[in-house]
Amino acid sequence: MRIFIRSAAQISIQNPLCDEWFENPISYSQIHNRSIDPDFKAFIPVMEARRMGRVMKRAIVTSKSVIPEENRATLDAILTGTGLGSVEDTEKFLNALLKNDEEMLPPSNFMNSTHNTIGSIIALNFKCHGYNLTSAHRGTSFDTICFDAYLQFLKGAKNILVGGHDEMTADYFALFDQIGFWKKESFTADILKESSTKGTFAGETAVSFWLSAEDGGDSLCSILGVDLLYKPSQQRLQESLDTMLAQNGLSKNDIDAIVLNCNGDVENDTISREVAEAILPNVQQLYYKHLFGDSFTMSAMGLYISAVCLHRGEIPAHLIYKNGAGNKRPRTLLLHNHYQNKDHSFMLLSV
Amino acid sequence: MDSLILELKEEIIKSLNLEEMTPEDIDSDAPLFGEGLGLDSIDALELIVLMERNYGIKLANASEGKSIFQSVRVMAEYISKNRTK
Repeated sequence: MRIFIRSAAQISIQNPLCDEWFENPISYSQIHNRSIDPDFKAFIPVMEARRMGRVMKRAIVTSKSVIPEENRATLDAILTGTGLGSVEDTEKFLNALLKNDEEMLPPSNFMNSTHNTIGSIIALNFKCHGYNLTSAHRGTSFDTICFDAYLQFLKGAKNILVGGHDEMTADYFALFDQIGFWKKESFTADILKESSTKGTFAGETAVSFWLSAEDGGDSLCSILGVDLLYKPSQQRLQESLDTMLAQNGLSKNDIDAIVLNCNGDVENDTISREVAEAILPNVQQLYYKHLFGDSFTMSAMGLYISAVCLHRGEIPAHLIYKNGAGNKRPRTLLLHNHYQNKDHSFMLLSV
Repeated sequence: MDSLILELKEEIIKSLNLEEMTPEDIDSDAPLFGEGLGLDSIDALELIVLMERNYGIKLANASEGKSIFQSVRVMAEYISKNRTK
């Protein structure tokens, strides 16, 4: 089965709703970074936007950017991956709970404080009554929802909106800091691949994709397979890749690069490199978190940059983690993600 | 009363996140719901919370809100008569 990525849009710590990162990426040296937001008023009426948190506004803007108006109400599904949901609203509600002795609580923050508010607000905005599901599964929230999209297409869906959305508040950043999520020392993003310490740096994710069963002639690329694996052995990873390739009449030699989730955390990156070397030795390796930071749904940005590279037929030098075999004009990419070496995922992409 | 009306307008803008508005944009006598400011039922809940938090007024019966929230001026008059802080 071939699923076409008809369009994609991102808001992140790179310039939003465009691909300036491809030629002129912004480099960061701060550990905590918030996204560069577009002018929300250009996309959402002020009276509607006033009750939305930032993560919801970003989700609406990227969703509207990828789905043409005439297709919004008839989407077969709206699928959202989010690790933390509307955490800014959750924090406001919980802080009010403490401050006001569990009384006089703000209803808007309470309503917004569930993970599935993001997908719901998109559905309300689009007047779409289709299947609506949110996956909150830490570092593989987006991968899990992509697998659900894959299953929906197998069942006959024609058009699906898929998104990965996460914000990083100051309070949550501080909590993660206590359990060693972030780097302690100063760094520059371009040396992350040589890092020998634990921790990464924080970004935020808002990426939406219009997935379709039909090409339409203007697709960025297509998804040939999605697989999720729990605590897989290297043999199991190998079998998964072999099956996916065989199902599409491809071999390992057709893969031009493997896109890794390397983020500068030595433990995370060692696992990623070991997987790449085991299943695709000598194939060039790409990475992207040095440009976008990390969040639970940053793998959505991995799919985004892969789609852009395939569409343009070019891999910018700053995405190359390790040189190796692979066509300079990429036609097939393998996207690998893992979270703490427990949940792994593959996505096979082709022009 | 005028200073309370101004204070109330500022609080409404803050609590309801009416980022684009200034106190001058809100007509003291215009309806808050439906026409006028165009607030909805969730805003009514926010206003009930605002009344209790800022002025110590606890509405025992939510249906009272319909008459109290007619306009900013009516709200201000009710607050000045019933406030406990």
